[in-house]
Amino acid sequence: MEVKINTQDNVTTAQLTGRLDTPASQEVSGDFDNLMQYAAGTVILDCTELEYISSSGLRLFLSLRKAAASKGGKVIVKAINKDIRSVFMMTGFLNLFEIQD
Amino acid sequence: MSTQRHLDPHCQAILQEYKDNLPQFRKIETRVRNDIKRTLDDAGLLVAAIESRVKGYDSLAGKLELKGNKYNSLADLTDIIGLRVITFYIDDVDKVASAVERLFTIDWENSVDKRKIHEIDSFGYLSLHYICSVPDFPYRFEIQMRTLLQHAWANMDHDTGYKSGVEIPKRYMRNMSRLAGMLELVDDEFSKIRIELTDYRRRVQALVRSGNLDEVPIDGDTFRSYLELNPFSQLNKRIASMNQAEIQDVPLMPYLAVFKGIGLKTLGDIARIIKEYSEGAYQIACYQIGLTDLDIISSSIGPQDLCIAYILKNGGGKAGIKNMFDLLNGDNESNEMIAEMLLEQSKDLPFMYSRN
Repeated sequence: MEVKINTQDNVTTAQLTGRLDTPASQEVSGDFDNLMQYAAGTVILDCTELEYISSSGLRLFLSLRKAAASKGGKVIVKAINKDIRSVFMMTGFLNLFEIQD
Repeated sequence: MSTQRHLDPHCQAILQEYKDNLPQFRKIETRVRNDIKRTLDDAGLLVAAIESRVKGYDSLAGKLELKGNKYNSLADLTDIIGLRVITFYIDDVDKVASAVERLFTIDWENSVDKRKIHEIDSFGYLSLHYICSVPDFPYRFEIQMRTLLQHAWANMDHDTGYKSGVEIPKRYMRNMSRLAGMLELVDDEFSKIRIELTDYRRRVQALVRSGNLDEVPIDGDTFRSYLELNPFSQLNKRIASMNQAEIQDVPLMPYLAVFKGIGLKTLGDIARIIKEYSEGAYQIACYQIGLTDLDIISSSIGPQDLCIAYILKNGGGKAGIKNMFDLLNGDNESNEMIAEMLLEQSKDLPFMYSRN
């Protein structure tokens, strides 16, 4: 699992590649902690190369969203595949995030 | 840049006193503004603005040049520090006034409620001015309290170059009076609407608490009151217990549009859907997450699956489900994919074949 962070102006993009399962979530939790510092602006989680998300991965997304909400920023989840979209829907989180195709 | 003025020694002494005390004036200005802000915040009174300023050197020099002999000392000038509280509603002017009365000592002899001194043939839409003081500071200061519309009037009035109708040509007087009257009327109407809305909310909350939900139409206020009763909590807990999942609280107000979109009219209709479709909603959730290790769900899972169950059972089909997700997430093609998946899943679920 890999997270590449790139910041330009007030927009930070994190490209997620691989499977965000429980061990991988622990592995990248530091990257998500880093993302928190940009939560006052716009954070885009680019999921084009993200294959899978577990509950632990969802928790990382949620923590980031919570930080953004408290700082007046926003989190955009971009290009999630069909399976991940289903996970968002099945858990009731689909309408919590701004999802872009 | 300072303008050259011809001031007598008396006025120059007043100006010097002003310069010597300027840091103190600025300190008191900030303190008074903060005191007002904190008191209004504590009282939950939302105002449009709190403005403050210390009179500038040139402005004071100009005033002294014109009528310096009127003042024995700097302490006779009451507007070196000036504050203005601008409210949204006319009734809030009195609330702000009462907060100011509690915070500071009011010089009643020199304070003016200009709202009450209208001549019948005058024009204007005026505000409340208090001259105040604090114990440890020898100079008084002025606080103006007015509504946004009174503020608008004051600015427009100032722009005409006429003061309180003294010199205004009669042919314009009528139009100015009409305008002032209209603003006063608008302020009154805003206040009436607020009172009526507050009254409506109280009545609705009482109806919701008493359980007379069929009498309560669905709107933003009523739905918010209903959510305070946690109507989906039981269903959410039942769904969560499947995977011993944690429930994350999320805002449920977006479901107002969905409930209205599927044709529900009253909170009683929502209560009936909870009663009649909870089993269907549970079956949908079971099918979707029962065999996964997902152990986190949002508190919107209950209303979401209830609406899905209701739509599918009542023949809303793919279009109905897509419409629901369009209302929640905005119109996009992926919602169609989800709708298709849900329609397919529903064929395996017993509630679709029960008589209900």
